[in-house]
Amino acid sequence: MARQLVVFASLNQVALLKRALYREGVYAEMVRTPRCYLFSGCSFALRCQFDELPMLEEMCRKWTIEPGGIFAELEDVPGESSVEEQAR
Amino acid sequence: MIYLDNAATSWPKPAGVARSVSAALTRCAGNPGRTSHHLAMDAAALIQECRENLAQLFRITNPLRICFTSNATEALNLAIKGLLSPGDHAICSSMEHNSVWRPLTALVERGVEFSIAEADSSGVVDVAAVERLLRPNTKLIAIIHASNVNGAIQPVAAIGALVRARGIPFLVDASQSAGAIPIDVQAMRIDLLAFPGHKGLLGPQGTGGLYVSEAVNLRPLKEGGTGSESNSAHQPLFYPDRLESGTLNLPGIAGLNESAHYLLRKGVETIALKEAMRTKRLLASLAKIEGVAVYGPPVELPRAPVVSFNLLGMDPVCVAAELEKRADIACRPGWHCAALAHRTQGTQETGTVRFSPGSFTTMTEIDFVLNAVAELAKESQSR
Repeated sequence: MARQLVVFASLNQVALLKRALYREGVYAEMVRTPRCYLFSGCSFALRCQFDELPMLEEMCRKWTIEPGGIFAELEDVPGESSVEEQAR
Repeated sequence: MIYLDNAATSWPKPAGVARSVSAALTRCAGNPGRTSHHLAMDAAALIQECRENLAQLFRITNPLRICFTSNATEALNLAIKGLLSPGDHAICSSMEHNSVWRPLTALVERGVEFSIAEADSSGVVDVAAVERLLRPNTKLIAIIHASNVNGAIQPVAAIGALVRARGIPFLVDASQSAGAIPIDVQAMRIDLLAFPGHKGLLGPQGTGGLYVSEAVNLRPLKEGGTGSESNSAHQPLFYPDRLESGTLNLPGIAGLNESAHYLLRKGVETIALKEAMRTKRLLASLAKIEGVAVYGPPVELPRAPVVSFNLLGMDPVCVAAELEKRADIACRPGWHCAALAHRTQGTQETGTVRFSPGSFTTMTEIDFVLNAVAELAKESQSR
């Protein structure tokens, strides 16, 4: 399975990133898992392909979004994915 | 009815606005940010889309710095009370609406001082008048972009340049200009932009917002549920959550989103041009009617679509009542919640009659209104 990214941020930030990615032709999924509560201020998460990491980082810089974390994961379990490593 | 009260609230709205409000209530009225079922997620996407459309209209680079409020008054209170502390000094103009004058006056009891930059009798404030009032403890300049009394447009870009050089936050009240006059927060160096959703932006009542630049941090007016940092006793520091507590007005924002789409499609410049033609016709023709006094800047100067006048010897309230009774014309007489502005233009005793054409006002309607005023003036003069 392709590696995926999970970005934890607030709902408004996640919604902004999702729409911005969509305009770039990238589909990302907004999700909410129990893990969201582990990161301060991050009630939602965005799941997309690992390849989008540079674009996501650039978008976060542009809108001064400080995500609770950008993680790479190996599994894709709905509701509670196993977040394995900090992407960068 | 001929509706010339768009400065109070615009009417009619673009056709899609009511449909969008209804669709939000029937199809995606979840509570955004509180959960992840599809109704809530759809609501969140809609709200974000509206933030982005508004950002595009005002040339705001970060949509997350737009916080929704229930109207411009709430946005102005949020900016003024969220920024000023005891010992601070603020400057406003003598054309301000009560929604700036009253919050500043209320803060005087809490140790805030403010000065008023006097406009000339046509309602325009000189940049030098603002500069003369600056003090070392000046922490806010609050200026109305376009007067709701006579349409006078303030030199906000010049004032913005003056205060940006001194690092003082610049608050612009765009109640009469948002959607009616192009606004560029970057070029105008605006730090705080307060706007209603239901006037020139053509959205539903109960909507509005405040843009807060990244150079400014405000104390919230209200704390509460934001759907973020829910385990903390403290309000989040990040925007817009910092200033947006409680469930948002999703149906209203859906309508505002649709009207923002409409404005982006039509172009604010195009709408401004159309409204300026109607306003100029009103001004030029009213000035030619015997017994009519017209207020505000000379007809050749740009102004928002707001015209203030009086029929000599007739109370403005009676003029408005007669116009409605005889010709079904809707306008607004009185002081327009702006005593300072009426004092500036010398109409504090009686107020004025205000005509405010909008996006959907036709030239035929303007001519009909002018005829009705001319007839009333003739009768008034012959008494």
